[in-house]
Amino acid sequence: MANSFGIAGVAKQAAMSAILDGKTLKAALYLASGTTGPTTAAYTATGELAATGNYAAGGASVTNANTAGLTTTTAFWSPSASIVYPASMTSSGSFDMVMIYSTTDTNRNIGCFNLGAQSITAGLLTLTMPTNDASTGVVRFA
Amino acid sequence: MSDVPLIYTSKGNLPEADLRFEPMWEETPDYVKFIARYWLGDEVVKESAFVLSRRGLSSDAIAQPFV
Repeated sequence: MANSFGIAGVAKQAAMSAILDGKTLKAALYLASGTTGPTTAAYTATGELAATGNYAAGGASVTNANTAGLTTTTAFWSPSASIVYPASMTSSGSFDMVMIYSTTDTNRNIGCFNLGAQSITAGLLTLTMPTNDASTGVVRFA
Repeated sequence: MSDVPLIYTSKGNLPEADLRFEPMWEETPDYVKFIARYWLGDEVVKESAFVLSRRGLSSDAIAQPFV
């Protein structure tokens, strides 16, 4: 059997664990006209939905009972429940992105996820998570 | 007296019968989205969205060869 090369799976899991395990996370919504993304270091109110129509600045809480998992050399993590925004919400415009960020770590940006352009009018917005594994987890270090 | 089903909208509680319901689906490799939209005439008075994420984001960790 030959040697194989690459970053160790346990190292990826440890890196993921350091930013996610036990952290308090939130999910903010951003206008489709915005410029926020993976290069944004921390949560920003710039480009976020206005705090009107039952949407609170900073977004909704993320239920985080999962810890970073590992399958072979892919570390993975997902929120442990759906992200639910307040009932009867009206968005201040069309949004297309949710940023998950850590309030534990000075609002560090964890990731920016595409929702497709959407507006909410006196309605509900729920984000249901995928299977938490190495193929579909919300955050994966492969 | 018969009860009339009401739906909460941006115009307050309106009889369901006065509204036009438009269900829509979006399907992409990343998510499936169900949109429930209610119209009063030519105005959207209620719109909800239910997003099922199919997969998140993957980041590659690269081991640079020494040679």
